[in-house]
Amino acid sequence: MIMNSRKVQILEINGDPMKIIILGFGAVGQGVARVLSVKKDYLKKKYGLNPSIVAVGDRSGAAINPDGLDEELLLKTKEKTGKISSFPEYGIPGVESINILDEVEYDCLVEVTPTDIHDGEPARSHMIKAMEDGKDVVTSNKGPLALSFQELATTAQSNSVEFKFEASVGGAMPIINFAHETLAGCSIESIFGILNGTTNYILSRMANEGSSYEQTLSEAQELGIAETDPYQDVEGIDAACKIVILANSVLNLPATLKDVEVEGISRITTESIALAKKEGMLIKLIGEASPDTLEVSPRLVRQGSPLAVEGTLNLATLKTDLADEVTVVGKGAGSVETASAILSDIISVWKVRK
Amino acid sequence: MRFNLVLDLPDVPGQLLEVLEPMGRLGANIVAVIHQRDVKTERGTVPVQITIEGDKETLDMVMDALEAKDIQIMAVDGVLRKEQITTILVGDIVEEDVKETVTLLNQLEGVKVADLDLKMSDDPKNSATKMVMEADFGHKKKILKSIKEVGDQKGFLVINEV
Repeated sequence: MIMNSRKVQILEINGDPMKIIILGFGAVGQGVARVLSVKKDYLKKKYGLNPSIVAVGDRSGAAINPDGLDEELLLKTKEKTGKISSFPEYGIPGVESINILDEVEYDCLVEVTPTDIHDGEPARSHMIKAMEDGKDVVTSNKGPLALSFQELATTAQSNSVEFKFEASVGGAMPIINFAHETLAGCSIESIFGILNGTTNYILSRMANEGSSYEQTLSEAQELGIAETDPYQDVEGIDAACKIVILANSVLNLPATLKDVEVEGISRITTESIALAKKEGMLIKLIGEASPDTLEVSPRLVRQGSPLAVEGTLNLATLKTDLADEVTVVGKGAGSVETASAILSDIISVWKVRK
Repeated sequence: MRFNLVLDLPDVPGQLLEVLEPMGRLGANIVAVIHQRDVKTERGTVPVQITIEGDKETLDMVMDALEAKDIQIMAVDGVLRKEQITTILVGDIVEEDVKETVTLLNQLEGVKVADLDLKMSDDPKNSATKMVMEADFGHKKKILKSIKEVGDQKGFLVINEV
């Protein structure tokens, strides 16, 4: 009798594991492995959640173990060899990422492959397949969401699976779940925001230092804040993707990337910033989503107003019917920061499934 | 009845007198005048608060007279009549273009360009122009859109307010 009740107790504490596949093992994928490792005890204690990474895929292939892969060893392997397929014992070189989904039993796909803004692949296919197989999907992948949001949302719905993408907008800054859950009961009329950290960094530096756009961009590239090919950031494409995601998920507008009017920051001059400052204003790259406007463009923001955030911070102001304006700020990028948003989605999925 | 007015006057001698003249002439009673020349707006104009008393017809006539004199009435009884809109245009704005752009903007309904600041660059393409417009209250969104159209038409990058 005593033995039996102890057994039950242990089962309750450990629970059934939530089996996770991570596709894509770059900065965000590694961040997810890191937070799952660091937060193991916390998740178990607080939510009775016992996440188990059963497979990881990257360009080189995969590491697969139905009994779970050690998070720290995953990170070490990737760091040392750059290839997840060199994972000791369970590494499989050359396996196609989509086929990993058939190799092992799992509950939830974490889709964090590099984003593609032309066709959204291969992420789009990964997510559709997982949904059609009845699996929940958590992603940070903007491209497929900006291009085929409605298709993904409908597929998730018709297969009765959870589909969460908090990390796709504003990294660690809570916005999508914030709008749906915390602001439940409010109708959201419009959203304004600074949705790209790189451009906010460049504009802040230009305003503080009086430096030129070209000069500041190359400084940002040296610091690793801007990418070697900064096109998607500086021309406003990245922010436009996020506006599409917010329009669809928060405002229920079936928009895609081509519906957004986009102007980036590459034409912003030192002179224009100086003139704005003289008037007590700053120039910021602002994304706007409302039923009659989908736009990303440089705009004037009053110094000292909530929109005047500096550095790589992201920010969004939601205009609501009951709560008036609510503003959220947070880190828009970073491995662990973005993974924090993915983890919150994993926990939400778990709460539904347990 | 009473009207509480907030006016926006240029900081040059004789402006207050200009405002008070029609009030006296048309027979409105002045209850209070708050005029502090030291307190200025960002554009260097002086906000003046005036409370006048009289019957409705008299007060309406005073308002018409002020408007005819092109005096900027910012608010009546706490209700904003005008608002300021600031825009920055980036592009090769040579003298002719400035004039034409201002004319185009002034032609928009309810808009008047009130201030203009120019910063030329070695590369004329990088020059910037700041314009402050006074506009009828409540039309901001429409006006911002029209400004953008004017800018696009002339090949300028338009940086509007949020």
